[in-house]
Amino acid sequence: MSSDMSSHEEPEERPAAGAAGAAGAGGTAEAEGGPAVPERRAAGSGWDWRRPELVMALVVAGLGGFVLAGTADVSAASSTLGLGPRFFPVLVGIALLLIGVCYAADVVRGGRGDPEESEDVDAAAPADWRTVAQVSVIFLAFAGLVDPLGWIIAGALLFFGLAVTLGAEHRLRAGALAIVLSTLSYLAFVKGLGVSLPAGLLSGVI
Amino acid sequence: MLLDGFATALTPVNLLYALAGVTLGTLVGVLPGIGPAMTVALLLPITFNVPPAGAFIMFAGIYYGGMYGGSTTSILLNTPGESSSMITALEGNKMARRGRAAQALATAAIGSFVAGTIATGLLVVAAPLVVDFAISFGPEDYFALAVLAFTAVSSVLSRSVVRGLASLGFGLVIGLVGIDEQTGQARLTLGVPQLLGGIEVVVVAVGLFALGEALYVASRLRHGEPEIIPVGRAFLGRSDWSRSWRPWLRGTALGFPFGALPGGGAEIPTFLSYSIERRLARGVAREEYGRGAIEGVAGPEAANNASAAGTLVPLLTLGLPTSATAAIMLAAFQQYGLQPGPQLFDHNPALVWGMIASLFLGNAMLLVLNLPLAPVWAKVLHIPRPYLYAGIVLFAALGVYALNASWVDLVVLYVLGLLGFAMRCFGLPIAPAVIGMILGPMAEIQLRRALAIGAGDAAVLVRSPIAAALLALSLLALLTPLVRALVRRLLARRAGSR
Repeated sequence: MSSDMSSHEEPEERPAAGAAGAAGAGGTAEAEGGPAVPERRAAGSGWDWRRPELVMALVVAGLGGFVLAGTADVSAASSTLGLGPRFFPVLVGIALLLIGVCYAADVVRGGRGDPEESEDVDAAAPADWRTVAQVSVIFLAFAGLVDPLGWIIAGALLFFGLAVTLGAEHRLRAGALAIVLSTLSYLAFVKGLGVSLPAGLLSGVI
Repeated sequence: MLLDGFATALTPVNLLYALAGVTLGTLVGVLPGIGPAMTVALLLPITFNVPPAGAFIMFAGIYYGGMYGGSTTSILLNTPGESSSMITALEGNKMARRGRAAQALATAAIGSFVAGTIATGLLVVAAPLVVDFAISFGPEDYFALAVLAFTAVSSVLSRSVVRGLASLGFGLVIGLVGIDEQTGQARLTLGVPQLLGGIEVVVVAVGLFALGEALYVASRLRHGEPEIIPVGRAFLGRSDWSRSWRPWLRGTALGFPFGALPGGGAEIPTFLSYSIERRLARGVAREEYGRGAIEGVAGPEAANNASAAGTLVPLLTLGLPTSATAAIMLAAFQQYGLQPGPQLFDHNPALVWGMIASLFLGNAMLLVLNLPLAPVWAKVLHIPRPYLYAGIVLFAALGVYALNASWVDLVVLYVLGLLGFAMRCFGLPIAPAVIGMILGPMAEIQLRRALAIGAGDAAVLVRSPIAAALLALSLLALLTPLVRALVRRLLARRAGSR
């Protein structure tokens, strides 16, 4: 097992054309032309079940199963022509199962998606799961706290928490910015646009 | 008609909406990591409490402003985020590095203005023609159109068809959640009452784009200061003018038709324009190509903006979004209970033509805004990344929470953000999901309507020649990459056996 390809959490850089067109069709990986051949072969022989992209393919197929199962109980009131509310979900569910299988086949045969490029993203860097987890916790905490604390306080905490997590150097400045931004957005939306946001703890003050 | 539109657009209030739209659009579009689609999604909530005509005028401004802003980012900061401005970065950033940032920005801005104006003119001519043609469309034709949009966006816009289709599938499933309009049955709501009304488009778009991007950036933030090239006022010299105007026109000619086609998008015409300009380059241009030739900025930028106007043709006349940005625009129409299509031109001419007229005005405003203010926009690029992404998430949360004041929406937003994050990691394109989510329910309604008319006979779907042709095209869109792969494989095998 060539651990160099399989044990990494994140996909390495690959030639752009590598992933294209490998969908569904028969044939073996080594038939693919061009300079990508050696890499493909390495990826093809070195895959293992832990490869996260395979999980993604299973999620697709699983979602298809979920759609089929989850709409099993809605067919009761279907119309006379058999075109009830379950007709389209069944189509979508079957399609997703098929797509999931083709996707998995593609991954098993060495196909890979290129991680998206972005201005502030270093695609070659290893994924930093800790920061992702911290961002998640902060956001979900915000979702739970926005009603009791009100927009201004919860919003300021959200901004401050994220800025610090993402590496803001001056905590004081981040805190000040957080308060200014959440207060300004509250005023702009509530007073300017007439959208209602919770005042929470500060109700009566603002 | 267009004159009436100008009468609508030229009222002081609507002019203000247009100005606010282009300014906000440019400002948010310049922010790194934010492309036109995310710009439109993030700013959608701002238009909620504005009357329809004003909202769409503002929206048109945001749309065009976001395009302008994107080109500034790709010229001054050489790490292209948006695929449509990737080509601009090729020559544009090299020009900037050689001290010609002002000229690169100017040719992008003026080229966008020229292309946007011509293409909006073409939109004025083309829209009524398409409306006349589409007025006879039956449900099976609309269903076939939706299928074509699905397959085209999944296979043309992504390098891997399965990954495009997987993304489309996510979107279709999201679109299924909620009460079925025809029978009142709840589908896939998991017993959560807040999901009965379906998942709002804003939540999906903001989740997949804004929160997904923020999580993705969190996972692998580029450390260290990005290199940003300082710039003064944008201007063009005499020789730059003479080198730019032909690429502008050629880019417009390429961009508009591609934008109007399902799945055409901006990527293909910008790339075509880039390679055509390289082939046509003579003299200085030939020497400079690859090191920062102005032609390589002028052509693709014009193509980019012309395709943006092109996407409005199917969007307004057929209700068919051909890009993620257009899909979000369609959602904006639906917020007001309006369904773009031939009827929209009949029932709401003031609104449609007002919006089209404001595209001309917005373009002119953007030109004025962008040439002298280039240094100001460049400053936006210096925002420290932690603040930038914290701010993006704050405003994403604000827009979503403002919809229903419900924390459930925020949790749904987070789940969709995770999905967007995973899709980015695995190279699944986002656009098919957004289009599937918005167009899926429409496809379902038309399919059921068509089958009901045909008394359950599936042959009704191909009885109309238009529908049959569109479905054949869809099949072609799906099979083309497969055939290409097979041919390549056969050639490789032959080469191997020799």
